Amino acid sequence: MTQQSNLAINMHGISKSFGPIKALVDANLQVERGSIHGLVGQNGAGKSTIIKALAGMLKPDAGSIEINGKTVTRLTPANIERLGVHFIHQDRLLVPTATIGEAIFLRNEPGFGIFVNHRKMARRARELLKQYFDLDLPAGTLIQDLTTAQQKIVQITRALAQNASVLVLDEPTAALVKREVVSLFNVLRRLKQDGIAVIFISHYMQEIEDICDTVTVMRNGTDVGVVSPKTTSIDEIVRMMINRDVGEMFPKRTVAVGETVLNVSNLSREGHFDDISFDIKAGEVVGITGLLGSGVKELIHCLFGLAKPDSGAFTIDGTATNFSSPVSAVSRNVALVPEDRRAHGVALSLSVRENISIASLDRYSRNGFVTPGPEKSAVDGFIRELSIKTPHRDALVRTLSGGNQQKVALAKWLSCQSKLYVLDEPTVAVDVGAKIEIYTLLNRLAAEGAAILFMSSDLLELVGICDRVLVVYRGELTHEFQAGDVDSDRLLAAASGARSQTGRAAA
Amino acid sequence: MDDQTQGGKTTRRRASIGSWGIRLGAISCFAVILAYFAFTAPGFLSFYNILNVVEQSAILGVLAFGMSVVIIGGGSDVQTGGIDLSLAANTGLCAAVFATTSNAGYPVPTAVLAVVATGLTVGLLNAIAVVRLNILPLLATLAVMNVVAGSELILTQNTVISVASEFVSGLAMGSFIGVSFMAWTLIVFTALMICVLHFTGIGLRLYAVGGHPEAARAAGIGVGRYLTSTYLFSGLCAAIASILLVSRLSASTPGSGELLLSVLAAALLGTVFSRRFVPTAGGTILSTLFIGFLANGFQLLNVSSYWVNGVQGTLILLVVAATSLAKPSER
Amino acid sequence: MSMIKKLNLSDAAEVSRFAVLLAFVLLFVFFSLASPSFFSTANLFNVLVNNVVLLAIIAFGMTIVISAGGIDLSVGVSVDVASLAFIALLASGSGVGIAVCGGLTAALIVGVLNAVLITRLRISPFLATLGVLFIGQSVQQIATGGGQPIYLVTGEFAKLFNAIVRTQFIGLPTSVWILVLCAIAVYLLLHRSVFGRYVRAFGAQPGVAWYSGIRVPFNMSMVYIACALLCGIAGILLSSTVRSYVPLSGNAFLLDAVGATFIGTTISTERRPSVIGTLLGVMLLAVVKNGLLLIGWNFYWQQVGIGALVFLVLALSFGLRGRAH
Repeated sequence: MTQQSNLAINMHGISKSFGPIKALVDANLQVERGSIHGLVGQNGAGKSTIIKALAGMLKPDAGSIEINGKTVTRLTPANIERLGVHFIHQDRLLVPTATIGEAIFLRNEPGFGIFVNHRKMARRARELLKQYFDLDLPAGTLIQDLTTAQQKIVQITRALAQNASVLVLDEPTAALVKREVVSLFNVLRRLKQDGIAVIFISHYMQEIEDICDTVTVMRNGTDVGVVSPKTTSIDEIVRMMINRDVGEMFPKRTVAVGETVLNVSNLSREGHFDDISFDIKAGEVVGITGLLGSGVKELIHCLFGLAKPDSGAFTIDGTATNFSSPVSAVSRNVALVPEDRRAHGVALSLSVRENISIASLDRYSRNGFVTPGPEKSAVDGFIRELSIKTPHRDALVRTLSGGNQQKVALAKWLSCQSKLYVLDEPTVAVDVGAKIEIYTLLNRLAAEGAAILFMSSDLLELVGICDRVLVVYRGELTHEFQAGDVDSDRLLAAASGARSQTGRAAA
Repeated sequence: MDDQTQGGKTTRRRASIGSWGIRLGAISCFAVILAYFAFTAPGFLSFYNILNVVEQSAILGVLAFGMSVVIIGGGSDVQTGGIDLSLAANTGLCAAVFATTSNAGYPVPTAVLAVVATGLTVGLLNAIAVVRLNILPLLATLAVMNVVAGSELILTQNTVISVASEFVSGLAMGSFIGVSFMAWTLIVFTALMICVLHFTGIGLRLYAVGGHPEAARAAGIGVGRYLTSTYLFSGLCAAIASILLVSRLSASTPGSGELLLSVLAAALLGTVFSRRFVPTAGGTILSTLFIGFLANGFQLLNVSSYWVNGVQGTLILLVVAATSLAKPSER
Repeated sequence: MSMIKKLNLSDAAEVSRFAVLLAFVLLFVFFSLASPSFFSTANLFNVLVNNVVLLAIIAFGMTIVISAGGIDLSVGVSVDVASLAFIALLASGSGVGIAVCGGLTAALIVGVLNAVLITRLRISPFLATLGVLFIGQSVQQIATGGGQPIYLVTGEFAKLFNAIVRTQFIGLPTSVWILVLCAIAVYLLLHRSVFGRYVRAFGAQPGVAWYSGIRVPFNMSMVYIACALLCGIAGILLSSTVRSYVPLSGNAFLLDAVGATFIGTTISTERRPSVIGTLLGVMLLAVVKNGLLLIGWNFYWQQVGIGALVFLVLALSFGLRGRAH
């Protein structure tokens, strides 16, 4: 308690629940001035929730927050910057129609009285970008015309331009190239010497090791330890991140592998992924992973007709396929459980019944009219089969928990009797019990002859349930691991781009 | 429907070329139509005629600025974004208030004050509905429009109320350095709008509020206050326009609600002059004058005014279609 | 904690469900007491034929569009062009069948135009239908030399229109039966058909519809075409009722149709537009209009009253929904 005077941030005993889901349980985060503090944990461990609590974007149910030694009771996005705390959010909070200069100096415009000196603003923006990142961009360029990486840099520059005392960076390097990462790190080290506290959130363990002085490890909504990467190895930290007590989580199975369902050959999409080839057979669960910006997301979108590859091809059941939209993908029995469940997976304001049958209404209709009998019994069947916890089939999906919503999204495709299931982070924000049920369901689908492509950032679950795991790094398929031949540490290393790994190194 | 492919680098480059094409296309389209009138309509390009068009565009211009500011602050997604459908009806009500108070013998300052109070009250009503009650601006202002239009009818009993005062005739007839007061109003108003929207922090922040409210909020901008101000400002614009309207006609007349479509057209058409596809002061005044010249040219050519609406509608659709196709489709 | 909150919320929603019905009943009783002529068969009959039928059919079209998350500002144009084509064909000596087909075709063209603008050119529904509204007004002015009505009042036509509008069948005139047919058809379409499910999905979460492999552009086109066709039916009925084509008369229905649909959403816990709700909304507006007239409010006050009423219902609907989020 005595050395608190040197703490820039002191979050103590923070708890937060979303309905039945406990996102944070008595979590702590303490960051000293003049240090770079890492915050690591798996998806759903509570990292982003605690950051949102600090940003004033959500109000914790319990706990106290001190900033620079002063207890802050009312945090709002409007006053947090005045307290000297700046955020580089993962979703780039920039006005797309603003110029670089306007975005950097919004609300701190250089000028005279209420008047803005556009020329000075542009010049200073240009100077700052040059000074910090050695980047030469015309300051009049619109944010919407910048690449993701450039937008990130503009955001960081914005915080720097405002003399932040605390800088929170959420996955800042995800879309940056090596040169930009190096200059960002140089900037951060310089800021550290100036006495600024930096909170650094990253999945790239290598970066954590490179730059952080201390690391808070989070798991299941609470902090499980504060360590120094100088004295604690990365392996150790990863072990702390991953809960070891879930040995029974991944149900075992043995499935005879059948015909090739999906064959991808030399698929490329400019700026996203390059020359990717793999195949999936009936009865297989194939995992695929890659960090944010690795191109794995776009690859999945191509398989469902949401994006078009520039070159290369893929076949389904041996027939060459070129999906122009999800309509054709669904008609070829491809299913996608999308990452953004609320925007694309389930319609919250529709009922369980309407959601489950939406993609397969031709099965439950005659002459264009829904036949309620067969529909109801089919839906009831799925509710029972997947043990979806809902008061009744006509309850709105909004009232269900995250895990049950995800089961509804899955039931939609079960109802289509899909052949290829593409799952994009299906267990994010899903509680452990429902996770196990989803794994069991995937196993059963595979046993019934479906092919499953399972994209996840949760490496432990990939190791636990997949027959093979593919790793995409910066747009290239760099590794392919067989089940039993891999653990989450090696996957993490491969996904983070470590070169000293075995496996099928294609790069 | 909007879920299209993600915009990569190539599409971005293509989009920015496309946006240049649209801006140039829009400007040259305007130029071609004006050139056509210049060659075919006698006296179209005469100084007198141009001044005449500026004068006649004053009312539309002031209202279009009010609409533009609401669209800037609410975002240019016109379905869920900012819009003030009650603007034209508000003008009618303000004109009626001005005419009745003037005729009741109140002095000019009192009448003007009453008009401004009326305009701001309607603006406040819109602001409360949109900012406090979270009603879609489209629906909220549609309902307010009905109330306001009804109030105007109650006040005027659907009749023309003529106003004869020195102030009114002075405003209508008077001039300064050969330019009429009406034209001056538009010129000064335009200068003010350009200054505030494009050279002050207020304008910059207003654009931020409309462009990405979350980002604006994260930057510490009071989004609700800015939105409220936009609706109040559009109410003020209605008040100013109503005084011009009464001066011009020496009366308040029913049917000013019909101005709404032209006001929308001017504000929306103006967005093509911006590479960001948002309303700008320059774009709004250009499209206002364009609409003015269009009507004027048709008049000089003796083409029936029935075509004006249709041409405006077609132009809006062309412009918006081009905009939505050229925009880098997000998500 | 959260359970209690949820309960309170659904209670509030539950209460607001009956608010419109209650308002309707209260106003009905109030007007019956305040004006002796209100609660008479003749007056109620008049309200039904003159205030309910046309607005309800147009509002049904709007209900489909709003269910799909859109809006159609050009309903008036559909009404007008159908009326114009119908009357013009009759005046030129065509048979009733051809005239009706012509009217519906004219409305269909408006619907297709909207659909193309919205689904192919990806213009937002608001702007697309606004543009069509502009063009439609011009077309009418050009076609009629600046807005001259076309009257068909001669005996032969009068007989025809009487046959369309006034012939009674089981005590009710044909136009009411057409309303009933439209209500049943839209009910089946919106609440019982596969198409209706898609429409609901568009309105609830367009992303989910797209990610579920639904042909969004095609079905969305059908939404606007269905709306235009309903307006076309209303247009033919309108010109049969007034025995003429009056240019630009359809636009008067726009606000009422939007208002009635949104008033109707309040009877559903999920705030969904529905045929029953819209019908209730239309009847509420009709009763208010007629009642205000009978107790001596003139047309001007009626407009204020209706605007204020719609405002209140929207405030209630959005206020409660805003809290639910």
